[in-house]
Amino acid sequence: HQQLFEKHLVLLRDGRTLIGYLRSIDQFANLVFHQTVERIHVGKKFGDIPRGIFIVRGENVVLLGEIDMDKPCDTVLQQVSIEEILEEQRLQQQAKQETEKVKMQVLKDRGLSIPKADNLDEY
Amino acid sequence: TNAERNEEKTKKNHPDDMWWPENGEDWSDGEGGTDMDSGLQAMAEEDEEINVHNEETFGMEAPPSPPPPPPATPPPPQPKPRSPRRAPSPPRQKLQYFPWASSRQRGRSRGQRAALGRGQMFEDPAVMRIIEGRPSLKSLDSAIVDCGTTMYQRPFEDDVILLFFFFIQVYPPIVPRSPLFPRQPLTPRQHYNQTRAFMFPPTHPCPSTPQTPKMMQLRFGANSPRPSPFYSPSNPVQPFRYPGPATQLHPQHKRLLSQKQRKPEGWDPYCNLMTAKEKEWITRLQMIQLQSENPYLEDYYYQEYYRRIESKMAEEELGIRSKREPPKLTTPYVKKTDSYTPVVHIEGSLGQVAVSTCYSPRRAISAVHAYQKDTRLQRLDILNKIEKLFMVLLEVEETERMKTPLLSEAEERRLVEKIQRKVEHIYSQLQHHNPLESEGDFIPFLLVSKGKKLVARLLPFLKHDSALKILRVVTTNLPTLMSRDADETLPVLYPPLRNVIGGLAFSQLIGVLKDLTSLESLTTYECLELACQNKFGLSLLYALLSQGEKLLSSGVPLEPSIGDFETWTDIIFQVAGQLSQCSLVEPLLLPSNLLTLFCRYLDKRTVHQLKSNMESVTGCLALPS
Repeated sequence: HQQLFEKHLVLLRDGRTLIGYLRSIDQFANLVFHQTVERIHVGKKFGDIPRGIFIVRGENVVLLGEIDMDKPCDTVLQQVSIEEILEEQRLQQQAKQETEKVKMQVLKDRGLSIPKADNLDEY
Repeated sequence: TNAERNEEKTKKNHPDDMWWPENGEDWSDGEGGTDMDSGLQAMAEEDEEINVHNEETFGMEAPPSPPPPPPATPPPPQPKPRSPRRAPSPPRQKLQYFPWASSRQRGRSRGQRAALGRGQMFEDPAVMRIIEGRPSLKSLDSAIVDCGTTMYQRPFEDDVILLFFFFIQVYPPIVPRSPLFPRQPLTPRQHYNQTRAFMFPPTHPCPSTPQTPKMMQLRFGANSPRPSPFYSPSNPVQPFRYPGPATQLHPQHKRLLSQKQRKPEGWDPYCNLMTAKEKEWITRLQMIQLQSENPYLEDYYYQEYYRRIESKMAEEELGIRSKREPPKLTTPYVKKTDSYTPVVHIEGSLGQVAVSTCYSPRRAISAVHAYQKDTRLQRLDILNKIEKLFMVLLEVEETERMKTPLLSEAEERRLVEKIQRKVEHIYSQLQHHNPLESEGDFIPFLLVSKGKKLVARLLPFLKHDSALKILRVVTTNLPTLMSRDADETLPVLYPPLRNVIGGLAFSQLIGVLKDLTSLESLTTYECLELACQNKFGLSLLYALLSQGEKLLSSGVPLEPSIGDFETWTDIIFQVAGQLSQCSLVEPLLLPSNLLTLFCRYLDKRTVHQLKSNMESVTGCLALPS
């Protein structure tokens, strides 16, 4: 069914994706999102967590765009329940940490070290 | 409340005024265009009025205690009910809520003057007044005035309120507080009153000079406006003027947006949280930052994107079937890297060569063979030159774009000269690359894809003789160019060369055709054969023949040289032979008058065969239907 008004999608600096009705914006890109949903993607699955009203400080916005509700949705993504997606995410984080650990060890053995991204100042 | 009382008073005084003028004209409709200098006197008069008004409205009630100021914000001044406008109380604080009106607007609501510069304004944001009028800057802070007056003198800023928010910049750490989150809750009306001052007339186009962030704040206002709700919940349709006058969207972008706007909007209970004015304000704020004198240079991708959309839509509308395949991304074939050989032996060296690996990083010996080095360096040299000349070409194209009918004679001449100079520079650089080189003019550059693109984009700027020279170089060296065209970028030369061909006289044309067909060690037949096997070659041939036909049928005296016609007919026959026999590639463009040409010289059967052969490749008619 056709939506009457447009939803927006915003990607935040911490990697979160929020979808909702953008009600207000100001010159700093502070956003007021209504009926927000946080969408978590893991692989081909995704899950939506309803969050209500979100106020986002402008500096945390990476990008923001309108969702075209008219476009046919032919996605291969599969929606799952919140519990499932959170579990998937946890597993993903775990796997990532494991590989990171192994990598660091390998580098350490060779006397090298790569600074972690969060230590570098974003510029 | 005070605010409401004030409101009524205001309304009473000006029943005809629209609170928030919808049309831009209202912004600047003037009641007496007093200029800045006479403002001083008028101020003094109004001062008295304001005193009276404030007394009536607010009496001698003690103003509420000022909220603790954040470190960056100046503390609100002491309340002084009767302080003169230009009180010595800290000017900085006064200026923060300075009135914003063009001199023309000043006359409007005289009776409503707020206590500008009085402490009252800063104490209780809930008690807001309409602020209008502009006292002289000079009176307040000499440092500020300098900036103000210079800006004011600019002609195009006559009607635009610009100056006052410079003051906000005076104390940099302050982030302008958004009125959306005031210290005390404001009704929309109060908000409007406070921030109305910050709007500027929407009809006045912003100048095209590049804006520094400072200037933008200056002319724009720091706080977003919150006008009175025109669009009450009962009025769901937001007549959003899209885009505002200050925006500089690409026309195609505007069209797309307006198409989207026309979509019927359903009723959303929350759709008026942000009014159209506010949305427009934000949009304008963002767009101002994108304004520039040179959008094609500074915002290239945006401009290019919409230009392409535009041309695509135009094509669709005209029904031109795009015969050209969409440009495919060709990734160069990368040779598989050799596996790592731990022991490398180089001829002429004694013993093993040290090879660096991640386990033992050591500088590898750079053993380069003499002749290899030379050609590599040469190629690098050519690539380097191409890059440099491309930069010059970009400048030429930019200058060309800047030539508008609005320019004065002298300006235009200057630009034309500039273009000519640069074009000649590029041309001469391309022509004489290396006097020792035997490859000939232009060839080294034409063998590089980017060089072809460079020449293709340069051709429109060249005079006919220079362009003809390039054409002849191309036709003379056609086999070389065709064979060494790995990326298949030769077609990029086709459109400009076709234009050059379109300007050829008959004998020039014959000369070019001779180049094409009398290559060393190849017969005419073989040359043509080669040409016909290649998309570009065939297209070029077609273009040449088409031009010949055009000249013949135009009735213009041809002034041929001796032997021209013989050459001409000979080539026609040869080409016809070629075309009817071998399988043809699809040309870039099939001129419509080719068959007419063949009809002149050949019998019907042959022509018919040619027709079917040519058409079978392209799938379109060789004759205009």
